[in-house]
Amino acid sequence: MAELKTPLLDQLTTGPWPSFVADMKRLVDRKPTVADVLAQLELSYEEKKGHWKHGGIVGVMGYGGGVIGRYSDMPEKFPNVAEFHTMRINQPSGWFYTTKALRDLMKIWDKYGSGLTNMHGSTGDIILLGTVTDNLQPAFDEFSDLGWDLGGSGSDLRTPSCCVGPARCECACIDTLDLCYDLTQEFQDELHRPMWPYKFKIKISGCANDCVASIARADFAIIGTWRDDLKIDQEAVREYVNSGFDIQGVVIDKCPTKCLTWTGSELVLDGSNCVRCMHCINKMPKALRPGDDKGATILVGGKATILQSAFLGWVIVPFMKLEKPYDELKDLLRNIWEWWDEHGKVRERIGELIYRKGMRVFLKDLGMDPLPQMVFRPRANPYFFWWPEEVNQG
Amino acid sequence: MSEDLRARVLAYLEKVDKVKSKDIAAALGEKKSDVDKVVKELAKEGKVEFLYIGTSYVKLVK
Repeated sequence: MAELKTPLLDQLTTGPWPSFVADMKRLVDRKPTVADVLAQLELSYEEKKGHWKHGGIVGVMGYGGGVIGRYSDMPEKFPNVAEFHTMRINQPSGWFYTTKALRDLMKIWDKYGSGLTNMHGSTGDIILLGTVTDNLQPAFDEFSDLGWDLGGSGSDLRTPSCCVGPARCECACIDTLDLCYDLTQEFQDELHRPMWPYKFKIKISGCANDCVASIARADFAIIGTWRDDLKIDQEAVREYVNSGFDIQGVVIDKCPTKCLTWTGSELVLDGSNCVRCMHCINKMPKALRPGDDKGATILVGGKATILQSAFLGWVIVPFMKLEKPYDELKDLLRNIWEWWDEHGKVRERIGELIYRKGMRVFLKDLGMDPLPQMVFRPRANPYFFWWPEEVNQG
Repeated sequence: MSEDLRARVLAYLEKVDKVKSKDIAAALGEKKSDVDKVVKELAKEGKVEFLYIGTSYVKLVK
């Protein structure tokens, strides 16, 4: 093989941080594919132009998603990356693995693919980068034998993801891990069969800290919260203060709705004005806890979209109890999908569709009542637009 | 309803090469979710198959 010269890429190895270039170069002798990836990337740096082509219908039997066809536009120059498909593997809830599971997974990928991974992709899946069409089915069969499944790609339900939830976090208001697994099992068809206008992502956070950033990245965000008042251990609060903790500056003044007061000996909560932002709990975790009546807030429409600007999720259900078998949540999802499928344009995500048609149309079609918590932004005018049939013209 | 819808879906699929389940629902005047359920059952029985050409199509197994 000709010597691999990558002077531009090599500059990336000189910084203070670990570099993917150094990592990949360790594989070059064993994997000619990796050498061609680097050589093609070096060329891209020289020309300031990408050389990957998306597209082509590749996949495994019975699945419409999970494999992304990728090709080099210079196959004669870089024959080892003429086909360089990506496989997505559905990650376990909360990304908990045994080392054996990871080793088995990597053994298969080393056998059939380039050995390169992206752990994890933005959606959460295990992204395996670079294999050829002929290896897709045998690789999938071996993954499948070990209990792994493909994730979503294309216009389907993307692999649902969640935070570590109750497994490691005392703030978790819902069992994110169970819910994520349950939804993944329930919506296998939607996950593996691209038949919608565009992608649809579900992300689940156990509390308002939103460690998976569901509000910004998910079309359907489920964020744990509580309905009653947060729990205060007054003795523990006093311990914080006695140890020099600036409760006034760090907690009281930072409360967005000013619902906390420090009397000098006691923390007083105005529960009706608490917006459950978690700030006080994060600052005094030994003294404050979420309430007992736990559930989740459901938001719809988050994500940086193509047709409109970036959206944060919009509250559609301020509070929903989330207990097995999660029927209320599943019915809501099915109704949203049906409405989106009926009205959405190609590559229009649910948030953009709601933006285009209006939240009131969305709510009306889904048979939901408007609620004060659904505020999109502070109102700029005092008018209310009535439906014609609601106006008494007599 | 399900048996009747099954028969109608199968009869409709006889008339087309491949079709999206959304279009089956529109042609039969049924809810898409009901058609989806029927198609899913038929696929499990091996009577229909899915084609993935950008989006998902349904066709009869011949």
